[in-house]
Amino acid sequence: MAANPETVLSRRDKRKQYAAELRALTPTGQILHSDEDLRPYESDGLTLFKAAPLVVVLPASVEEVQAVLKWASERSVPVVARGAGTGLSGGALPHEDGILLGLAKFNQILELNPEHGYARVQPGVRNLAISDAARPHGLYYAPDPSSQIACTIGGNVAENSGGVHCLKYGLTVHNILAIKVVTIEGELLTIGAPGCDDAGYDLMALLTGSEGMLAVTVEVMVKLLPVPPLAKLVMAAFDSVEDAGDAVGRVIAEGIIPAGLELMDNPAIRAAEDFAGCGYPVDAAAVLLCELDGTEAEVEAQIGRVSDVFNASNAKTLHIANSEEERLLLWKGRKSAFPAVGRLSPDYYCIDGTIPRRELSKVLARMDELSKEFNLRIANVFHAGDGNLHPLILYDASIEGESERTERLGSEILQLCVAVGGTVTGEHGVGVEKINEMCVQFDTHTLEQFHAVKAAFDPNGLLNPGKVVPTLQRCAEFGAMHVHKGQLPHPDIERF
Amino acid sequence: MNHDASAALLDTVQQHVANGLPLRIVGGNSKSFLGRVSESAEEMTTLSVAEHRGVTNYEPTELVMSARSGTPLSLVIDTLKQSGQQLPFDPPQLPGATLGGTLACGLSGPVRPYCGAVRDHTLGTRVISGKGEDLAFGGEVMKNVAGYDVSRVQIGAYGTLGVLLDVSLKVLPLPETTRTLAFEQSEHDCSAMVKLARHFLPVTGAALIGSRRYIRLAGSDAGVQAAASELGGDAVDDAPWDALRDFTHTFFQDERPTWRISVADYTPKLAIPDDKDGSPASVLYDWGGAQRWVKTTLPAQEIFALAASANGHATRFSSASVGDATHQPIEGVAARLQTQLRTSFDPQRLLNRGRFHPELDT
Repeated sequence: MAANPETVLSRRDKRKQYAAELRALTPTGQILHSDEDLRPYESDGLTLFKAAPLVVVLPASVEEVQAVLKWASERSVPVVARGAGTGLSGGALPHEDGILLGLAKFNQILELNPEHGYARVQPGVRNLAISDAARPHGLYYAPDPSSQIACTIGGNVAENSGGVHCLKYGLTVHNILAIKVVTIEGELLTIGAPGCDDAGYDLMALLTGSEGMLAVTVEVMVKLLPVPPLAKLVMAAFDSVEDAGDAVGRVIAEGIIPAGLELMDNPAIRAAEDFAGCGYPVDAAAVLLCELDGTEAEVEAQIGRVSDVFNASNAKTLHIANSEEERLLLWKGRKSAFPAVGRLSPDYYCIDGTIPRRELSKVLARMDELSKEFNLRIANVFHAGDGNLHPLILYDASIEGESERTERLGSEILQLCVAVGGTVTGEHGVGVEKINEMCVQFDTHTLEQFHAVKAAFDPNGLLNPGKVVPTLQRCAEFGAMHVHKGQLPHPDIERF
Repeated sequence: MNHDASAALLDTVQQHVANGLPLRIVGGNSKSFLGRVSESAEEMTTLSVAEHRGVTNYEPTELVMSARSGTPLSLVIDTLKQSGQQLPFDPPQLPGATLGGTLACGLSGPVRPYCGAVRDHTLGTRVISGKGEDLAFGGEVMKNVAGYDVSRVQIGAYGTLGVLLDVSLKVLPLPETTRTLAFEQSEHDCSAMVKLARHFLPVTGAALIGSRRYIRLAGSDAGVQAAASELGGDAVDDAPWDALRDFTHTFFQDERPTWRISVADYTPKLAIPDDKDGSPASVLYDWGGAQRWVKTTLPAQEIFALAASANGHATRFSSASVGDATHQPIEGVAARLQTQLRTSFDPQRLLNRGRFHPELDT
């Protein structure tokens, strides 16, 4: 922060003033503004970036959210909305001159209607809590991001979250019916409908995954699906990642869409096994976890075919989970791959690119080279069914220069994903993290159109400013960096 | 026959942008019965995208197909079939229909509630905006959250947010077996279909036609067999699905206008007044009760009011006269946001002006 005492003072005064005004607008809510109280809100799941907002406001009713946004709009104050703060791209990184709008108090399931297969929930309800509430009725909410125990449905809508079962059951956008949102002007409106579609443009699709840039979600109507009567998990070990990748293509070619199809490379297998003790073959180059679900007859018919495919793809061992406990344990290993890798190294950085699956071997080989070039280890977990790759870069932030090297390696990997026809983010969102790489993926006109879409909802750019879509100036600067092959010509330029 | 006509299309749009002249976008012209007929429709230049055709990328194991918008839908379906795959949303196969027109109209077949809609399987689009810009959104991979999901918003927008050039779709394997069962049922009673939707069975269609309820099962031989034994009913060989999908079912031969009312499947029977001459409206329930086809001569505003009171919306599905209302009016904040969205893509209202919701064209 600037050392100028006047700036410090005015910032403090502003904070006091905002806090007082917001307190009056949110009589049942809560206002936080001491340095100590603000600290937990300085970053989300991506701790590389930190910033303190002027004030954190935790409204307790929709009317209070409306009042806060109307106030922000009138005062031209930036607003960053936040759920549980588990996001991995800095989407909930506060704005230093703005307020952080926490939705933690919106933690109620408003209605659970098992007969009609839906639930109406507040945005601060945890993803897993919805399925827990629905399960006694034989129903569940399908998207299951690995952070589902903590992440909230509001954040899921903002990020269009997926999960290990999204190959078959889709992303958030496929599993929600309607949302209530508040615009930056403080107006409340319902988007979507309890039926299959709504009149006019598909604003549900536009708002889902819009990372808090267009409106603030205050209620979500989710679809509840019947729990599959049976789920079986096949684990196959391979001597080469290439064979495992080929096996994935062959399963699809067989006409089978597994509920989940996950690939881990050897470093990830070792880390997960060390962490969860779930029985992974630690000497394998790659492991595939393939889950089949459905009626008993469907699953039994498919399990044999999948096993045949794996055998024909040179699987060296094949194991079908013997019990529900074992099935869950094998998934636990996969779902805890991130923290598991975290134990191998003081810090890790998770990348989120998607590639056409056929490019897997090429991408992994190139990543191996990059790993050596940057002298940083990489472990890979891969939502193989849908091509979503999560390389985990292992680094030590206490070693000077290693964080910067990690960021640069991450950026190289994302650009590699784009080069093979993929995308810079499959499910974690752009946030602040991948904003430069957006310049690589989209041309000038398309980026300008994104800005125009934003302006249609938020003409003064107050909702989550500076995220998701880079300014053209920033792209010009980033483009210039590339001429120098990753060597930053101006390390002092603010990059994020 | 493959042909990339994007440069010529872009040139035409840019000329019209420069001169402020509106364009009527046409693919195969198979869905000319859809949408409003504007007062100035006759004078508008037709922008034909049918020449811009061909499958540009199809790798069955990636479950993705990319094709130019003028590609005949039948060619897309045949190409997929050769690799044992399909368009999961099973759109109407009207003679001459193109892929682009199918997406622009956002039409999905009877499978929709069970396997998803057109928008659910749209991965990427390249469009020419009403500013004459060549834009590309989304991509060819299944998971992609980079930038706003503009591709899905193009679906069902009737071309008013851009002229579709190229599209990428998620495709899925064809089922091993399909079987249709029929049951006797009281007319207008969707409760059995609603109940079925809460059970995990390989259902891919549920319709109530008069007093006959049809259920379609699809999946593996063993799975379908097991589900059929569980459900009972009569196996039928004259399944109505293709006729419902393509609007060729005898229900649609009634000469009165066709309306589509989209509501939640559990919505009770709508109290639709009789026509002026005393004839009752005719209703057919597809999508498990969520898509209701209505034959009536009631004025549009009465149908919109009925749909709105049931938390749904109505669309006219037969040719309208000049100026007739065809789409549920959008009001309030939603109208403002949608109008601004339209402005962001097409500030001069050049693309299919007057064809969609007229209130968004002001």
